[in-house]
Amino acid sequence: MEYVIGVLLLLTFFGLAYYCIKGYNLMIGFLVITIIWTVLPMLGSLVVGSAFLEANPILNFGPDNTLVNALNSIYQSAPEGWGTTLVNVCWGAWFGRVLMETGIASTIIRKTVELGGDRPIVTMALLNIVTAVIFTAMTGAGPVIAIGVIVLPIMMSLGIPKAIAMFSFMESVAAGIYLNPVNFAQYRAFFIATDEMPDFTLGWYAAKWGYAALAIALVVTTIMAGVFLSRSKTSHAWAAQTAGAQQAKDAPMYTLILPIVPVVLNIAFNFSVIGGFVIAGFAALFLCGKMKGGFKASCQLVNKLYYDGVVDTAPLVGFLLTLPMFNKVASYASPYFNAVLGPIMPKTELVVCIVFAVLAGLGLFRGPMTLVGCGAATLGVLSNVASFSVPFLYAVFAIPTITVNIGSCITQSWVAWGLAYTKVESKDYLKLSIPTLYIISVLLYVLTMFTMTGLDQVWYA
Amino acid sequence: MSFKEKVKPYLEPIADGLFGKQRGMRGPQLAPVAPRPIGLMMEDLLRLDDEAWGTYAFSRDVLNRKFTPEKRAELTHRAMECGREYAQKMAGQYGTSNPTELAKKMGMQVEYPEMPKSAARVLFAEFKAPNHIYLYMDAVRKARTTMIEPGVKAVLTDKLDIGQLLLAHELFHYVEETYKKEIFTRTEKVELWAPKPLHNRSTIGCLGEIAAMEFARTLTDIPYSPYLMDVFLVYGYSKDAAVRLYEEIMGLAGLRPSNPENYSPAT
Ligand SMILES: [Zn+2]
Repeated sequence: MEYVIGVLLLLTFFGLAYYCIKGYNLMIGFLVITIIWTVLPMLGSLVVGSAFLEANPILNFGPDNTLVNALNSIYQSAPEGWGTTLVNVCWGAWFGRVLMETGIASTIIRKTVELGGDRPIVTMALLNIVTAVIFTAMTGAGPVIAIGVIVLPIMMSLGIPKAIAMFSFMESVAAGIYLNPVNFAQYRAFFIATDEMPDFTLGWYAAKWGYAALAIALVVTTIMAGVFLSRSKTSHAWAAQTAGAQQAKDAPMYTLILPIVPVVLNIAFNFSVIGGFVIAGFAALFLCGKMKGGFKASCQLVNKLYYDGVVDTAPLVGFLLTLPMFNKVASYASPYFNAVLGPIMPKTELVVCIVFAVLAGLGLFRGPMTLVGCGAATLGVLSNVASFSVPFLYAVFAIPTITVNIGSCITQSWVAWGLAYTKVESKDYLKLSIPTLYIISVLLYVLTMFTMTGLDQVWYA
Repeated sequence: MSFKEKVKPYLEPIADGLFGKQRGMRGPQLAPVAPRPIGLMMEDLLRLDDEAWGTYAFSRDVLNRKFTPEKRAELTHRAMECGREYAQKMAGQYGTSNPTELAKKMGMQVEYPEMPKSAARVLFAEFKAPNHIYLYMDAVRKARTTMIEPGVKAVLTDKLDIGQLLLAHELFHYVEETYKKEIFTRTEKVELWAPKPLHNRSTIGCLGEIAAMEFARTLTDIPYSPYLMDVFLVYGYSKDAAVRLYEEIMGLAGLRPSNPENYSPAT
């Protein structure tokens, strides 16, 4: 009987994948699948054999394991548990707004371009580096758009074809996200509760894997962009740039270091991420003279930036708070998946890396590899059929989530924005991003094999 | 009305809510501008001098802030001279100043693609090494509608053939490529920052554009800067964007936009 239910669940999983690929609303999609995955396994527990129930106590409902408790854990505790993650997202978005408002971000871009000058490949490479560095600290679609409207016209005015300009920028943003503390907290919550495994910090992760991942993603992106560029030849275009080059004043030189302060504090001292945002954010506002308008005006500005930042993240919030319900419900569905898929799921770290590298493309269109898509279900299945260490699983899923989904996929909100802004066709973007995502993924899984496998028992949840 | 048709308006919002596409992200919104007749904008821009257009060209260059206004003016004049010189040289060498014939004799492949574009950056024409020129036809077609707006023809004159002008501009980039060892627009460099013993020198992108405009003006013999086309052609895509661009150019030139209320189109 468990096989029948397993197959039914599998069908709904494919249904979800199809729904995501069609570009429908993710929050509603995950809410609906959560309900289906609640109903099927729980009704299923009435009809399956007793041996199956004994092997999977989670489905063995009774006085010690009441149905109401199970439902509460899915629909109440799970999203609540993600509250801590959400708070980081909001402060990160505020910090991003501060860097825009103070002109620090745009000054960094302008200074970079003035270093590279009228040499497309050099300037593009430099812009990729600073973009990645900036996005280790900035979060959300607002900052990506705000930086994009500066960087993209600059690259195009240097004769870089618009598809390559966009590709190079978006993949560099994704490279930076490998070290972004907000994203780290967000994805970490998929694997363990916030207070579990206190040693699994951004600092530990960065030293072991994160720095190298960022560097590999950035270098591959830049090399690929260079290759595409040399193949397509730079062009001289007569174009009218109507958006107007902002002639904003430069932020003081010594403030340009502020974007990386929260990340550095977090990595070096395991200092609070939000604390870092507050310190660096207010330092930026004071040092750039944004707090000179008197107490009242300053309060209003800080408040407005927070408002704008939260609005930036708003489209994500509903989805982020539905996803944990799904993550939780996956643990009720996984015994059935195990029954059906158990024999064919990879059980060793080497096989997992190979399978994920080969299937990296399935992280596109919110497919079964990306955590911000139906990969959350894959994780549920994978972690229940075999035992893997948390850092290993983190790395395995971070690659398709960050490089494939966030950097390369047109369903990522800001990539979709970029396509509309530059008028690049989706297929032209994917033509550049798909080969690149495979190269980056393969290299990162090799890296994972070297640094994240065979960890001690303490790293197992 | 069938039952299906009757319930449709009630079901649609629900279906949209469940299965509607994600709303796309929008970029920063621009402040609204007051409308302005294109004829008047052309008239105003006609009066700008070479240095004003140089300032505009530099404002679009990534290295703009590396130069003083005096240096910009000097480079503008030298680039224009370069454009004129090569226009005469090419016309002499190939025995014609007609851009279409020049393109043929230079072995150019000219294509006329359609291209979707946003009002934020309107692309008119493009040169790709070694010998491809693309003239984007929707810009040219939209210009025909703008041309019949009151007062425009009087300013732009019968000499203007937009296709020829765009082609002439792009031909200069080919010339630039051919003479890159010696031509001013490629040999003039600016020193950028580098750690002490090293050097970091870059060409200045907008010099090629300034020279290309002067090259095109000389060949087509129009009595104004081809930079006017920036505002003129953008107008076909977005009137607001054209007004914004016009106001920006006037501002860079240190002039106040004129009052549209007193405008009477010349004929
Ligand atoms: Zn040009």
